[in-house]
Amino acid sequence: MAFPPAVARALTRLIGTDANRARAAQLAFANTGHGYDAFGMHPDFIAFGDALVSFLYERWFRVKSYDAHHVPRQGPAILAANHSGTLPFDGMMLWADVLRHTDPPRSPRPVADYFVPTLPFIGTLFARAGVVGGSRGNVRKLLEQDSLLMLFPEGTGGIAKPFSKRYQLQDWRQGHCEMAIRFRAPVVPVGIVGAEEQMPQVATIPVEGLGLPMPFIPIPATPLPLPVRYHILYGPPLRFDLEYKPDDADDPLVVRAAAQRVREAVEGLIHRGLAAREGVFA
Amino acid sequence: MKAVLVTGAASPLGQQLVRSLLADTRVRHVLAIDDLPPDRALPFSHAGRLTWHAVDLTRARKVRELLFGPARDLGVEVMVHLSEHVGAYGSGRRVYAQNVEALRSILELADAHPTVRRLVVKSHAVVYRVRLDLPVQVEEDHPLNLDPQAPQYVRDRVEADLTACARMGLVNCEIVVLRCAEVMAPGIGSQLFDYLDAPVVFRPMGYDPMVNVSSAADVVAALELATHGSGEGVFNIPGYDTLPLSEAANKWGTPVVPLPEALIRPAYMLRHRFVGSEFRYGIHRNQLHLGLVLDGTRAARVLGYRPSHPVDWPVGGPILVAPRSGV
Repeated sequence: MAFPPAVARALTRLIGTDANRARAAQLAFANTGHGYDAFGMHPDFIAFGDALVSFLYERWFRVKSYDAHHVPRQGPAILAANHSGTLPFDGMMLWADVLRHTDPPRSPRPVADYFVPTLPFIGTLFARAGVVGGSRGNVRKLLEQDSLLMLFPEGTGGIAKPFSKRYQLQDWRQGHCEMAIRFRAPVVPVGIVGAEEQMPQVATIPVEGLGLPMPFIPIPATPLPLPVRYHILYGPPLRFDLEYKPDDADDPLVVRAAAQRVREAVEGLIHRGLAAREGVFA
Repeated sequence: MKAVLVTGAASPLGQQLVRSLLADTRVRHVLAIDDLPPDRALPFSHAGRLTWHAVDLTRARKVRELLFGPARDLGVEVMVHLSEHVGAYGSGRRVYAQNVEALRSILELADAHPTVRRLVVKSHAVVYRVRLDLPVQVEEDHPLNLDPQAPQYVRDRVEADLTACARMGLVNCEIVVLRCAEVMAPGIGSQLFDYLDAPVVFRPMGYDPMVNVSSAADVVAALELATHGSGEGVFNIPGYDTLPLSEAANKWGTPVVPLPEALIRPAYMLRHRFVGSEFRYGIHRNQLHLGLVLDGTRAARVLGYRPSHPVDWPVGGPILVAPRSGV
């Protein structure tokens, strides 16, 4: 999907609304001079992406957002959420939710697994919408630019988990806490409820080493995501930037403890969301 | 007032640098070196401030005679090393001697030289490794491409770069290595220029990475800042323009044809065979999928270098206002 911004603008006019365009127009980003940032993000593609996910956000998953005021309005920050659902609709919904509930709008930079930028067409479209490959250098650079990052510490382990393990956090990576401490960024825990039932997964076929750009092929029980209702709950920011010195990022015990606190905060939000919801589809 | 020695002075970049140094009141004299006869190089006035020597730098004895002859007599304090083999398909002992051994000789001799106190080496962004798990924006501590299977074009540049870096702090001379972005100008050996300056650009289907390109004026400005600066180190020298590959091709007025990966390499091999083009797909395969953008923060902080000369794109011209701040 390597089409020019003019095409993205035209498509947004076709399928989007004034609100989509207005949000993208207010975005602040590090323009390198040609309308893109150094990672390839372009506001016209943000508007297009926003328009593209509107149907899913508003009609299909009917997202309910709670306590979005916890997302910092400016400065570097990391959104850390649970990950699930066979296909990453949870990332799209969280991205759209933050875009809609911040004023002025902030477009979070989704930090994707290594293989995502290598996906032809999709990798390019994602990059235009702000997705970056999950290398430490990319994360560091974005935090230095005061960006709002969005990442899923479970990684592909979260999205690949079987239906029987829904709402059970998988192996929780720690890199986000190291970067948060080192670059003085608060971490906002996010619990996403609903996604874990959207596409029950019956199996995954590992394809690593077979030359395909992804680590596995998921086998979902349904060909399309079910119209579950999403609940996105934001917790108060964990101010590692105030609690620790940047050099503390070198201490594995500090980083592990910080990651555990993020994990517990996300678990708490998930349980709160599950207790409050009236049903999977309600 | 300095005397400056410039190797590779007859190259397009070398000529611009010599011109610029002659216009600089801080420069007393320029000693221009290349292997062309003087009547074919530097056809401009110099009011006695320019001395030309045709020297084959691949011969260590000639380098010694140069440095401990005319260079010492003129009191050369700064050397700017631009000389290299520009062809991507060049290989063999002679090419290696030009790319690596010439620099090694200069480094050895600079240590014992009575007047040379600073050596500026022009290196390349192509020395960096481009890989999935590495950042798109590249700082100076980014891993280098040490792939033994890489073409000699890359291996030589990496070895020359590392040879200069390895001598930092060990010789009686400050060493500055400038890793420059690809310059969009002919005759400089820019692979990206050769790639875009073609009847058609074949791009890997489904990929449109970010590229950073420079103008000759910006590289010359960086070389001048390094010439007059103090201290040593490695610095990325990014260009003014950072944009997607497809947009660069559009601005260059070249139609883009997305092709499956399997067809691109043979297409460029055939192009080289029959048209004589120098672009070598194997060198840039990863960059044309994942992108590479030099981060110039260090050069801005230490050398005071900021790209300020946009590429004069054939379609639409240069971008005039480049907002670079904000989040």
